Amino acid sequence: MSWTPAFTSTLGWATLVAVSGGILILYFLKLRREPVEVPSTYLWSQTIEDLHVNSLLQRLRRSLLLFLQLLAIAVAALALFISGMRGEVSQQSRSVFLLDNSASMQATDLGEGETRLFKAKRMIEQKIEEMNDSDVAMLVTFSDRPVTVQSFTSDRRRLRDALASVQATNQPTDILGALKAADGLANPRRSSEMGDVNDVQVAQEKPADLLIYSDGGFATVTEFNLGNLKPEFVSIGTDSVNNLAITAFSAERNLEQPTEVQAFGTVMNLGTQTIETTATLTLDGEFFDATPVSLEPGDQTGLSFSLESEAAATLELKLDLDDDLEIDNIAYAGLTPLRTVSVLVVTEGNTPIRLGLSTEKAAKICNSEFVLPAYLNSEAYAARALAGTDDLIIFDRCTPPQMPLTNTFFIGALPPATPLGPASNGQTTSETTATKSENADAAENANRDGPKGEPDPAATGLGQTEQPETGATNWSWQSPLSSVALVDVDRAHPMMRYLELYSLLIFNGRGLRGPSGSTDLMVADIGAVLVLAPRAGYQDLVLGFEIVSTTETGSTEINTNWYAERSWPVFMLNVLRYLAGAAEATGAPSHRPGETVQVRLENAIGEAKLRRVGGEVTEIRLGTSGIAEILDTEQPGNYRIEAKDELASLFAINLFDQRESTIAAAPSIEVGYVAVEAAVGNAEERKDYWRWALVAMLGVLAAEWWLYVKRVA
Amino acid sequence: MSNAASANQLLSPELLARLERMELVSRKVFRGRMKGERKSKRKGQSVEFHDFRNYVAGDDLRLIDWNLYARLDQLFLKLFQEEEDLHVYVLIDASESMNFGDPNKLRVAKQLAAALGYVGLCRADRVSVQALGPPGRSAPVLRGRASLWKMLNYLGSFESGHNVSLSDGIKDFSIRNSGTGVVILLSDLMDKHGYESALRMLVGRRMDVFVMHVLSPEEIDPPLRGDRRLIDVEDGDAAEITINAYAIEKYKETVKSFISGIKAFCSRRSISYIPVRTETSVETIVTKYLRQRGVVR
Repeated sequence: MSWTPAFTSTLGWATLVAVSGGILILYFLKLRREPVEVPSTYLWSQTIEDLHVNSLLQRLRRSLLLFLQLLAIAVAALALFISGMRGEVSQQSRSVFLLDNSASMQATDLGEGETRLFKAKRMIEQKIEEMNDSDVAMLVTFSDRPVTVQSFTSDRRRLRDALASVQATNQPTDILGALKAADGLANPRRSSEMGDVNDVQVAQEKPADLLIYSDGGFATVTEFNLGNLKPEFVSIGTDSVNNLAITAFSAERNLEQPTEVQAFGTVMNLGTQTIETTATLTLDGEFFDATPVSLEPGDQTGLSFSLESEAAATLELKLDLDDDLEIDNIAYAGLTPLRTVSVLVVTEGNTPIRLGLSTEKAAKICNSEFVLPAYLNSEAYAARALAGTDDLIIFDRCTPPQMPLTNTFFIGALPPATPLGPASNGQTTSETTATKSENADAAENANRDGPKGEPDPAATGLGQTEQPETGATNWSWQSPLSSVALVDVDRAHPMMRYLELYSLLIFNGRGLRGPSGSTDLMVADIGAVLVLAPRAGYQDLVLGFEIVSTTETGSTEINTNWYAERSWPVFMLNVLRYLAGAAEATGAPSHRPGETVQVRLENAIGEAKLRRVGGEVTEIRLGTSGIAEILDTEQPGNYRIEAKDELASLFAINLFDQRESTIAAAPSIEVGYVAVEAAVGNAEERKDYWRWALVAMLGVLAAEWWLYVKRVA
Repeated sequence: MSNAASANQLLSPELLARLERMELVSRKVFRGRMKGERKSKRKGQSVEFHDFRNYVAGDDLRLIDWNLYARLDQLFLKLFQEEEDLHVYVLIDASESMNFGDPNKLRVAKQLAAALGYVGLCRADRVSVQALGPPGRSAPVLRGRASLWKMLNYLGSFESGHNVSLSDGIKDFSIRNSGTGVVILLSDLMDKHGYESALRMLVGRRMDVFVMHVLSPEEIDPPLRGDRRLIDVEDGDAAEITINAYAIEKYKETVKSFISGIKAFCSRRSISYIPVRTETSVETIVTKYLRQRGVVR
């Protein structure tokens, strides 16, 4: 416990003494005496003569007014010089304030409508007030990303201003980034490897107090070493909370009956009390349905709603209650208008594919167009590939000179070496500057592996047998042609759902090696034969064996019996749903607040408007490939992207974070295997006395004035 | 203003009725000028026997006590006491300091003067109520109950503001009135030159002196507090003082000492000292206090 003077210079105290002395002098020299007539000063003169004998002492001893004036000055001095008392003195002169401003800090379980963030800010402000002139502090906020609001400074005003600028976010919590930001100064790294004896530490270590103001609703941090940081966890919030949360909500069209829509939601009681309420579903802002929800603490329930809508629609599921955290009481989902996907099939003839795309179910969601491989060298294809008008292009035993800006499915062939750059075989003249620069490295690698100018057999559609082993940058054959026996299928992947493949007969096939990040969906004895890999926002699916083959004589023969299996049309339907985006086309994707949302629109659209349903409209600019990156996704809601006054895309922003919705304040946290117990939030509150002292001074002055008036009157 | 109205302003009819039954007591016997109701040093023709003396040629034969002559065969004269009037002087200090207090000191002094004067008039005394200073020169000498109105008119004719010192006022009075008698001085005695010489002058004239010391409550316990500049209403003299409880205490001690000084002075010179507080009604003062102290009976 210590006093915190407003300033410590002797000049201040000298001023105080001078003021007191001045009052005394003025008191004795007081010229303003109220004249009053008396019958005679005869008797008064005698009294005055008596008083003169010890007048100075008498005045000092008897004058209540003087005492009151001096008392007022003393109390004012108290207010000025001893402005407060702090509860605890920090051990370190450096402090790092880590302030949690994630969604859970908006909880109002502290009562009187006060949010946790508000209380945390107030506590930090008290800490800032307690700082001495030599103390320095920095302020870092964290949600799903850290923000250094104020770097180390001893300027309390700047710290206060920085603190005042901190706003609550709707994002989940990740403290690791903030810890790393605090770590930089406290634990300076060496310039090179630790074992090097000639290495010297580049900066002097600066121990600091690490004050974490949070409700503890984040994952345990293990990959962090506190080093010189002395952690202190100030737990904000109570352990008795009341929170019902929607942790999932989506809507999908029934592919059988596209006008039928199913909406699913999951509601969890993440508080400590039983809650009964209703969940209301609104469609385009109008009430549609409601259902009662009654959950014990820790329980969850699923809600489903059936509705019919052909057009695009926005859904909103809301819990009709006022609990401690409001943001998770409402969830949004978008429903894109019913549309079909467009599929281009490049093949010399493939009846199984044609059959697979013309089944009753597939025909409802797909418009397919069949072209010959020679089409790939036309300018029409080059324009089409760049426009991205197709949702999926199937390359059956052929390879395009350049990869299109859409998802692809290669059957018995590998994607070209430079997927978006100039063709490695030099036969294609159409180039785009954007793809050229992006894939420069890939082109170089391709040229290194295969001499430039060498004809690409795949491009000519002559057959996969002539495919070079290392013909692609990342895609490559893993094995020579041989018979194939399936070993494993990734049934969990949506592409492989409902497939029974172990009765397949495959005569010739080759193992595949995809680029980094690829997923093996079907693995045989010769390696992976069905691989899915990402490509700059798109996905490429490659099948290591042909469905139908062309013999040297030009006749067609069957390479597998898959076309005759029940799983073939199902697989093709999965490809349409997953790879062509038919599934996505029915339900709009959901993202978390603050995430960067990438939306692909048609290339021809130059500008679009982003409208949050019920909110503001902002202009967005599209990239060269029709990709828009939307950063302003802080507010939960349904977001519509409109181009030329028509809906171009739809997505939703929802919290959907069970950890964030679990708002009971944690009693301790673990940072780098060190358990940090929560400090009592208000034990170190600064006690301000200067206001009371000032009020007392005013009271004394009022009493003095009252006495003076009473005596003069 | 009618006579009755001016009388009512100073004395109530009830008080007048009570005053008619009173008389002023003089501790001394003075020679009067006219026949009155007071014992005189002279032998006269009252009914009260005084002495016998031998007859000498020329005496009035009507005064011879024939009964003694029958018994003793000598002529004796039977002497009776003479009854004469008494000179009653009521002196009012009309300085500015008397114009103070609530009720006003001068008004109380006028009321007392009127009351005592009326008592004298009812007993056929020669009554002269006069203010010290210039107004005193026009003061009438009155006798008989019917002169009440004259007396009241005179009392109403002057106000305060005649700032002559007490000794000068008494000196002026003594020069103008050579006779002896009862002198009742109504004053606050707050004279910076002192009251002693004035009283000595009266005593020296063998007057039967009564000093009625008129003080207001504000003078005895002043309600003043704080930093004040006291201004004397008579001479404009100023005194700066911080009046606090201690100063008030000292002032009270001074007042007490002042009064006891006057008492001692009067006691040594057979002067009757009668303190008068203005908040006490004139009826109470006259019918109670003055009777207790033997001024009237």
